[in-house]
Amino acid sequence: MDFESDYEIARTAEFLLSRNFTRVALQFPDELLKDSTRVVRALRDQLRSLRKCGAEQNGGNKDVRLFVMADTTYGSCCVDEVGALHVNAECVVHYGHTCLSPTTTLPAFFVIGKAPVSIPNCIESLSSYALTNDKRILVLYGLEYAYSIKHIREALVEASKLSESKSKLEVCFADVSCSVMNSSDDHRSSTGLVEPAGVCTDDNTYGMAPDNRYKIGGLIWTLPEGHKMEDYLLFWIGSDNPEFAIVVLTFNCCDIVRYNPKENRLVTDVSQQKRILKRRYYLVEKAKDANIVGILVGTLGVAGYLHMIHQMKDLITGAGKKVYTLVVGRPNPAKLANFPECDVFIYVSCAQTALLDSKEYLAPVITPFEAMLAFNRGSQWTGAYVMEFRDLINSSLVEVKESEEARFSFLSGGYVEDVDLQGKEIDKEDKGTLALANAMEKVLQLRDNPNSLKKSRARSGPEYFAARSYQGLDMHYDNSLPEPYLVGRSGRASGYEDEKK
Amino acid sequence: MVKFTADELRRIMDYKHNIRNMSVIAHVDHGKSTLTDSLVAAAGIIAQEVAGDVRMTDTRADEAERGITIKSTGISLYYEMTDEALKSYKGERKGNEYLINLIDSPGHVDFSSEVTAALRITDGALVVVDCVEGVCVQTETVLRQALGERIRPVLTVNKMDRCFLELQVDGEEAYQTFQRVIENANVIMATYEDPLLGDVQVYPEKGTVAFSAGLHGWAFTLTNFAKMYASKFGVDEGKMMERLWGENFFDPATKKWTSKNTGSPTCKRGFVQFCYEPIKQIINICMNDQKGKLWPMLQKLGVTMKSEEKDLMGKALMKRVMQTWLPASSALLEMMIFHLPSPGTAQKYRVENLYEGPLDDIYANAIRNCDPEGPLMLYVSKMIPASDKGRFFAFGRVFAGKVSTGLKVRIMGPNYVPGEKKDLYVKSVQRTVIWMGKKQETVEDVPCGNTVALVGLDQYITKNATLTNEKEVDAHPIRAMKFSVSPVVRVAVQCKVASDLPKLVEGLKRLAKSDPMVVCSIEESGEHIIAGAGELHLEICLKDLQDDFMGGAEIIKSDPVVSFRETVLEKSSRTVMSKSPNKHNRLYMEARPLEEGLAEAIDDGRIGPRDDPKVRSKILSEEFGWDKDLAKKIWCFGPETTGPNMVVDMCKGVQYLNEIKDSVVAGFQWASKEGALCEENMRGICFEVCDVVLHADAIHRGGGQVIPTARRVIYASQLTAKPRLLEPVYLVEIQAPEQALGGIYSVLNQKRGHVFEEIQRPGTPLYNIKAYLPVIESFGFSSTLRAATSGQAFPQCVFDHWDMMSSDPLEAGSQAAQLVTDIRKRKGLKEQMTPLSEFEDKL
Repeated sequence: MDFESDYEIARTAEFLLSRNFTRVALQFPDELLKDSTRVVRALRDQLRSLRKCGAEQNGGNKDVRLFVMADTTYGSCCVDEVGALHVNAECVVHYGHTCLSPTTTLPAFFVIGKAPVSIPNCIESLSSYALTNDKRILVLYGLEYAYSIKHIREALVEASKLSESKSKLEVCFADVSCSVMNSSDDHRSSTGLVEPAGVCTDDNTYGMAPDNRYKIGGLIWTLPEGHKMEDYLLFWIGSDNPEFAIVVLTFNCCDIVRYNPKENRLVTDVSQQKRILKRRYYLVEKAKDANIVGILVGTLGVAGYLHMIHQMKDLITGAGKKVYTLVVGRPNPAKLANFPECDVFIYVSCAQTALLDSKEYLAPVITPFEAMLAFNRGSQWTGAYVMEFRDLINSSLVEVKESEEARFSFLSGGYVEDVDLQGKEIDKEDKGTLALANAMEKVLQLRDNPNSLKKSRARSGPEYFAARSYQGLDMHYDNSLPEPYLVGRSGRASGYEDEKK
Repeated sequence: MVKFTADELRRIMDYKHNIRNMSVIAHVDHGKSTLTDSLVAAAGIIAQEVAGDVRMTDTRADEAERGITIKSTGISLYYEMTDEALKSYKGERKGNEYLINLIDSPGHVDFSSEVTAALRITDGALVVVDCVEGVCVQTETVLRQALGERIRPVLTVNKMDRCFLELQVDGEEAYQTFQRVIENANVIMATYEDPLLGDVQVYPEKGTVAFSAGLHGWAFTLTNFAKMYASKFGVDEGKMMERLWGENFFDPATKKWTSKNTGSPTCKRGFVQFCYEPIKQIINICMNDQKGKLWPMLQKLGVTMKSEEKDLMGKALMKRVMQTWLPASSALLEMMIFHLPSPGTAQKYRVENLYEGPLDDIYANAIRNCDPEGPLMLYVSKMIPASDKGRFFAFGRVFAGKVSTGLKVRIMGPNYVPGEKKDLYVKSVQRTVIWMGKKQETVEDVPCGNTVALVGLDQYITKNATLTNEKEVDAHPIRAMKFSVSPVVRVAVQCKVASDLPKLVEGLKRLAKSDPMVVCSIEESGEHIIAGAGELHLEICLKDLQDDFMGGAEIIKSDPVVSFRETVLEKSSRTVMSKSPNKHNRLYMEARPLEEGLAEAIDDGRIGPRDDPKVRSKILSEEFGWDKDLAKKIWCFGPETTGPNMVVDMCKGVQYLNEIKDSVVAGFQWASKEGALCEENMRGICFEVCDVVLHADAIHRGGGQVIPTARRVIYASQLTAKPRLLEPVYLVEIQAPEQALGGIYSVLNQKRGHVFEEIQRPGTPLYNIKAYLPVIESFGFSSTLRAATSGQAFPQCVFDHWDMMSSDPLEAGSQAAQLVTDIRKRKGLKEQMTPLSEFEDKL
């Protein structure tokens, strides 16, 4: 593949000029950073040449300034709006793998890139797989393979024409929703589907019922009237990445196979992905037992993230638990272990980074959807799974009628109290004159057994710290004289200046 | 034809001296339920004729089908004594009416948690022993459990009919057998010397042993015969009773009692002469249909038969005659009334075992005095499924005060800690119910000393709880029950249709309630796990789950899964070190196995985090040879802060060590729960913190840096200390005739079991075999054994200990390595163990 078409230089330049942007941020993921200078050079040349012919037509034009952004704070799949705003950019061009999450303030242009795929091989596996089943097939794919879908579809139509006997083959294809994204402020006017919608079936018709439209990641497709997702087999073209995991989780009732374009073979065993769903289910059960919840802010760009954080806070306080909001950038075990008082973390981020396998973490990390399952009393896991939190906003889960029953915890194998519901009733009695005395009593009780960390689970940060064995340095207050003024150390942790010898 | 009403029962409930709460306990198949039937018959709930066949207390279809009891069932009986019978009763009483709250319990070892639950709410126990099989494994287990709870036992030697009909043994031989049975039972009881409970051994001559034939509905104590003969011989009853047992011989020819067999052919033991022989005679006459001989004899005995009964033949006639002559109910009930304590008596000494709080507060006093006016103290020992699906009765015993319909009660769950709000609910009782066999009667209230079932609390009680009045905020709960079995066998269940998941969740919740022992939990991998005491127990649980609690929705169960433990064989080969993520902190550690017996001591709670450090260091230094100072340096136990592993501080003069203690403890709790081999719990490992190098700035040695590092260094030290797997091992007891021994040995060998004891039962051709059998090999063991011994051997398996597997899990291809791989695969982990190099860092 040549460089120009890989990075869609011409199309990008055209887009930038058509919108009259003057300050543009180019966002590269780490693995493409090495190409950034070449891209900038090529883009600048292209812009210049385009403007030349443009200037002849409609007079003077300002120079377009390009900025390269790298080392994104959160996932590199999201548009780093905050970074772009530092240079007052008017638009972000995003290179490489993307989650196509909507942006808040800036328009974005996506250059997804193209990964090689052997089209004949893919069609062969697709049609041979289709023959083994009598269900319809829906083809989904990683965005980097989107460019080849047109060819695959054409080739498939050819193939089915050639062999009349196989004409029963019904295959739907998903489309890429857009490669240009306007900010959510002027949303809903997202321009141009890359390719016109098309369904490759025998009768070549498709219904337009809105509830038959599906959207996941950057893919969008419509099922014919009266068809349900369960009627389809999913055929995924792409690698085993978070995108695929989301598809497996969301459509967990469908059979899914994966065509691996790198090795040119069909992977029918997706049990590892199915396991993810079960594992998530366990995490939900575990989260139900949590008393202190940390909300990790994992994005500053995805539209609606603030709304989501507020919704989560309300949800958690409503369930009678303590909530802390933390901004730690990209989470890792060491960072989160700095908050050992949190029993569970909710990671508010774009869909593709949200699924953290928290095996290595001290406390599990769950998604907002899972949090809703866990902290909404009476809500039940019915198998449905919602990944993107913009779908979650305002979506009220199926509320099972509020039962009086105490909550049953599968981790401890019995009923566990719900602090809140119990607490409210009893706390009322505590109000008034005795409140202080009672509070004192509790503090004393906590001190009674200081030699264990998680014996009686703390319900808030201060309670947790009160139960720790290390209470800080011993302050000697006998000496009322002021301490002498001392100059502290300077330098970095790896070696302070006074340590270097 | 119920002879009494709920009102009548309710009236006697107030007379605390006229109540007897008792459970029927025995080895499987020794005839508990059948015997219970004959007692129920006496109360008029079922007809005399069918007593022994109905098994009134086996209320479930599968119980009837398998012929074993699965759940313990309570039943309240009303019994009226005659003045004459009560003449010699010295204890307190009020009138002649008695209320007997009887609980029939299962005999199979898998269900012994049901027995525990039954014992808790009763004061006396009727121990049933098969006269031929004698005292068996489970007899011993339940008897020990009863005595541990301070339950006074009486004994009945059951299946007497086998002596007469099947074995046709002569009197002296039978006496020897009975004597041995009683002696064996007494050997067990004698070990429980308890000044408050007094002598708990049983003596036929004192009337605390009965002889019964449950199937035929007759029984006697020596009291019955003593009464009969006392007038004839002109001696008093007590004296006569003594003569009817032990070394007392009578020669009818000389009409003299001697204490030795005189050798004359007519000289026979008192028991044989006056009890055994007459019964034998009557039975023989009946069986041979010698009605001409029978009627005069019966007349002499004062037994009158109804005219239609006189037409019966053979066995039916025998049964009828014996039932009329020596009705099981009166013999047994009288024995209970005379020799088992009333709640008022029993609670005086049981309060110490029951109450967790200070023994001088008002609650302890109310329990001690069985005070109906005192504060309510009620212990719910089990949950019984109600007829409307999904709901449960909370079944328990009122120890003090009164529980009534509509009363608001404080429910203290098993995790309740006085003064906290954890596991505490305030709810009102919807209905109070008493149990009368298969049906329930609603009553207004139930006073202390009685068993009761409560409606409307099932949504707050999982398995057991203590109830008090709403206002009694300073009451302590009643001590939790201690089970003799543990749930070591587990299966993973999932529903066939994914959308049935809510049904499964609901079903598991109910299953957890319905059984005192079963544990429903969830694995890291997201699988729902049901854990039970044994294969049979699990089978019953799964059946209940699918049929009763999930409305028939289909479930898929995995093969049984056994949980393992990870331990170490030796001290770490070197001190291992791990660096924190920022490379500024270093932890040095070593692992070593805990001293033998120490892990068990921690399990039993003799050593634990809440001990007084002085006491702990005394035990550790005296029993386990620890250095006194070292014993004070235990940082914590784990997993779950109480487990059988520990971290000990061996550092000398390390700065900031106290600051990172909490973080190391957190890392240890985490690591000891999921060991390095296959994420099973660790067991019996002591981690020694040898040295610590920390960054001078607090911010660089925070939890984030130390917790993951502590976990890694613990894994590294585990892997360098020859890690091993521990597998759970059953103690198997098998009773079988000699010819079956070959089959037993071969099956045991094939299943990696080994026999460590083989004793012939004196006087019988039966052998008692004790063996150890790995739990993992036990699936299908019963059926294989039955097949190999043509049904003559029946094993009882109880979890006994953890056994170290000798093969090295780190050595590719070994048995342990294979196991580790399998476990990892099942848990969805990477099949390859994480290598040591991932955990250990180099300087």
